[in-house]
Amino acid sequence: MKVSDAYQAGQIGEMAQKLFAQERSLGRLDGWFLARETGFLHQEELKKLPEELAAARRLELIVDMLPLTISEHAVFAGTQRDAFARTYALINPAFQVETFCGYCDATAVFDDIEPNEEFTPERIGAVKKYMEDSPYVQKLKEVYGACEDYTGEVAFFIEQVTGHVIPDFRGALREGVGPMIERLEKRANEEADEKKRINCQAMALTLKSGVKLAHRYAKLAREQQKEANPERQKQLALMEETLNRVPEKGAESLYEAMQSFLILWQVMCMEQAPNPYAFSVGNADRIFEPYRAMENLSRREAGDLFKHFLVFFNVGDRSWAISQNVIISGRDTEGRDLTNEMSYAIMDAYYDMNFPQPILSVKLHKNTPDEIYAYMGKFFFSPGVLTPSLFNDDAVFEVLKKGGVEACDLPDYSIAGCQEPLIMGKDNGNTTNSWLNLGKILELTLNHGKSLITGKRMGPDTIQGLTDREVLEQIREKFYENAEYYVSHMVTAANGASEAISREPVPFLSAFMGGMETAIDMRDTREQGTKYNGSGCLIHGLTVVADAFLAIDRLLAEKPEEAKNLLPALQSNFEGYEELQDFLLAAPKFGNNIPEVDEEAARIAEKIADLVASQKNYLGNPFRPDYSTPSTHLLYGYWTGATPDGRKAREMLNYGVDPLYGEAGQGLGFRILSALRLPYGKFQGGYASHYGIDPKFFTGKTYEERGMQFKTRVLAPTFFNEMNENIAPFYLYVNVTTPEILRKVLENPKKYAPSGVYIMRIHGTFVNFLDLSPAIQQDIIKRLDLNSTRV
Amino acid sequence: MSSLRIIQKGFNYSQDGPGNRLVYHLQGCNLRCPWCANPEGLSLEGCVMQIKDPESGRVRKKRSFQEYSLEEICEEVMRSRMLFFEGGGVTFTGGEPTMQFEPLRELMERLKSREIHIAMENNGTHPRLMELLPLVDYLILDFKHPDAGVHKRVTGASNERTRENLEKILASGRGVALRIPLVHGFNDTPEALEGFLGFFHSNPMDKATLEILPYHEYGRDKWEQCGMEYLMKDGFVTEERVAEFEEAFRKAGIQVIHT
Repeated sequence: MKVSDAYQAGQIGEMAQKLFAQERSLGRLDGWFLARETGFLHQEELKKLPEELAAARRLELIVDMLPLTISEHAVFAGTQRDAFARTYALINPAFQVETFCGYCDATAVFDDIEPNEEFTPERIGAVKKYMEDSPYVQKLKEVYGACEDYTGEVAFFIEQVTGHVIPDFRGALREGVGPMIERLEKRANEEADEKKRINCQAMALTLKSGVKLAHRYAKLAREQQKEANPERQKQLALMEETLNRVPEKGAESLYEAMQSFLILWQVMCMEQAPNPYAFSVGNADRIFEPYRAMENLSRREAGDLFKHFLVFFNVGDRSWAISQNVIISGRDTEGRDLTNEMSYAIMDAYYDMNFPQPILSVKLHKNTPDEIYAYMGKFFFSPGVLTPSLFNDDAVFEVLKKGGVEACDLPDYSIAGCQEPLIMGKDNGNTTNSWLNLGKILELTLNHGKSLITGKRMGPDTIQGLTDREVLEQIREKFYENAEYYVSHMVTAANGASEAISREPVPFLSAFMGGMETAIDMRDTREQGTKYNGSGCLIHGLTVVADAFLAIDRLLAEKPEEAKNLLPALQSNFEGYEELQDFLLAAPKFGNNIPEVDEEAARIAEKIADLVASQKNYLGNPFRPDYSTPSTHLLYGYWTGATPDGRKAREMLNYGVDPLYGEAGQGLGFRILSALRLPYGKFQGGYASHYGIDPKFFTGKTYEERGMQFKTRVLAPTFFNEMNENIAPFYLYVNVTTPEILRKVLENPKKYAPSGVYIMRIHGTFVNFLDLSPAIQQDIIKRLDLNSTRV
Repeated sequence: MSSLRIIQKGFNYSQDGPGNRLVYHLQGCNLRCPWCANPEGLSLEGCVMQIKDPESGRVRKKRSFQEYSLEEICEEVMRSRMLFFEGGGVTFTGGEPTMQFEPLRELMERLKSREIHIAMENNGTHPRLMELLPLVDYLILDFKHPDAGVHKRVTGASNERTRENLEKILASGRGVALRIPLVHGFNDTPEALEGFLGFFHSNPMDKATLEILPYHEYGRDKWEQCGMEYLMKDGFVTEERVAEFEEAFRKAGIQVIHT
């Protein structure tokens, strides 16, 4: 049966809207708890198995017991609902910047489940206790315990990484998981290495669980046909027929390919429940185009199906499965454009639906067709509509090549989470493993290793015996000395967290991350399961430190007699030192095309990136410098004392590689020129940059015209500047709006966002502005910083 | 060493000349237009602005200009070339850029020798304006009022020199982008329109363009920050009035543009 036999024209799109509305009405997410409880209930059986096999068996048990439903509006079976909790801080209205503590408690999620008659406090408590006693959580506690002096006030932070990779499902869609299972079982029979033999068995078992889940849904679809009207009966019959074929067998239509993909995704997320954020689909247009072409489906038909694909990525009342990424367009190694009909079908679906998740990313390059830019005008200039993340393939290819990625893999880079470029199916980048706070390190350098916030000693006193003037004269040298100290401790802790999470193996995901070839789990810390591996380090406070160095230089040059007052001024948060603060604030700031400070920022970026990249992770691979600060510029700023650039204690740090809010007031041209000086080739883990743009500068009559103006005035000068001889910037996200508009939306959401959804970008993801916590809403408004982007 | 006092700089796309342009606002003006959007640029000596932080309420003092050597500006322009796309370059405006005539001319000569596209917006009153013109690729000239008396009464200086210079420029056959700031109660009257048309009628306008800039109050806060009272009242003009003026100019064969 074909999709067109079961659905009338336009019906699929309408059903997607209804399905989304139904999903958003869900106030509870308990599936993840049931998944965790399954391990608890079967602990005796699981304990007897090797860890890898125990993980596979646990997944099978989850698949066996999980309550399944198929909505009357569903075109596909499957959900991510059972993998996510109502947790993610930024979209939690109760979130407050002040409450952040430097500890990632893997069992805190149990506090996010509201007890009721079914899920009693005792029941929740028992599973929580079981998890607390697990080798994973025990190891993690030990790691955090050893570094809490540093993480409490965030000189650095570390975490175990879940999600955050891009599985390669293309082979499974093409040939089905059936042949994969056969290959794994054959290898398990022949393999001499016991670990690999067990891993093959485990992977095979999890793939079978995927088939089992599909069959359970098929059975449910069959049962529901009994009660359904004739039209729905046909639809359910199509669903049943499809689920009996995929993912076991290869997909033979776009409908089958999407259904297969969703089942695989569901299992992948359940394996890591709760909260495996930031998995990425990869280039969805390239994945699905062969299947669209197979049937010669129209753009409209393909787009309608994709609408249901998009609903799947929205979980619960606030779309809690955050930061999952769908990518379109881009180039191949020869520079040929890879945009296809599916790229436009996907954009159509995104625009029509305007959901808070998943993120849309568009890969651009110098031969990107103008149709893509013209189309993006609709996204940029429709108020409250999502805007895509933008990547510059020409530059990303260069950056990844420098990092050792083979040419044949370059077109397959995808975005894990916000902006981290990883190779689909081949790269475990542990992207959010470590977080470094340069602002805090500068504070500790200047204050003898003690916190300006609490007075607590956090690190060595490297300026003992120096006069005030000498400290300032040697500030760079001392800062880098301190950076080495904190980075070395950070690396030890970060690797410890990776060891901890390796105690929760992921055989299912590993089968799509190189495990079919290596027979090694992708989380293994002794042997490398993926072709590429590294660990991420998100570096905070770059331009605050650059501004601070320049302010110190200016102080020494123009008011040397004030040098003695700098530390007291910082200690008192400039109370009583307002004139000195004004002097520091008036010093050159990054983002205004002032060579001395822009070059300083470039030097710091390079030196810190080199320092980070010289560190080895658990497999001996380099840490990857990533200058991105996903709202953590607020959290870490809160724990950072006053800095010599004139910034007061507890105020935000700069976002990503951007100038500190309010410090670049000379318009977009100067900002771009400053940004072009940074050493993007060193940013192996990625970086973040955001432009808040006032729509008034774009005067085209149509969305398409404005899209082209956006290309000419914003994107081309930033990404494809012919006079730029360095590796160009490769990532950008934008919000095209003004603070006034956003304030109006908050004051009167019924008028300005009648659907209840007003999409804004926040770092790599987009979110419903109305879902955000107030602190984050205000951050978005503040960081529009329109003076820095006047065109 | 020669230097220039600059009140503001930044990029602007296609409004102050073709393409993307680095625009320098120079300190000092010989006119005292009460609607001026850059009042901090009026006095050649500059002023100290008192800027209140909206959050903390603290008042910060800021000098209205920064002084840059010609070498510094040249370097800045050269390293900004990456953004001179679509035929862009540098624009000098003000204040009134010709108030710093000598250093401006020297700077333009240096930039010209480096093949930088130069635009200048000015009020046409400088007696030696014609000396600068060979260095200017795109000339913008503000023509505020056709009547010398009204011009002098409101702006503090006569428009005679502007008219003379403009006549020479139009006669020379070079292009010029004329701008009329349309202000209610000053030049939005039928008499003023008649005066403008009369002037245009008696000069060759085939190489000229004309743009009307309706009154706005973007600079209002800055008057207070400079310690001066904003005396303009009711200067706004209606869209209809702007359209009426534009239509009249078009009918007279003048090329009306919007940037």
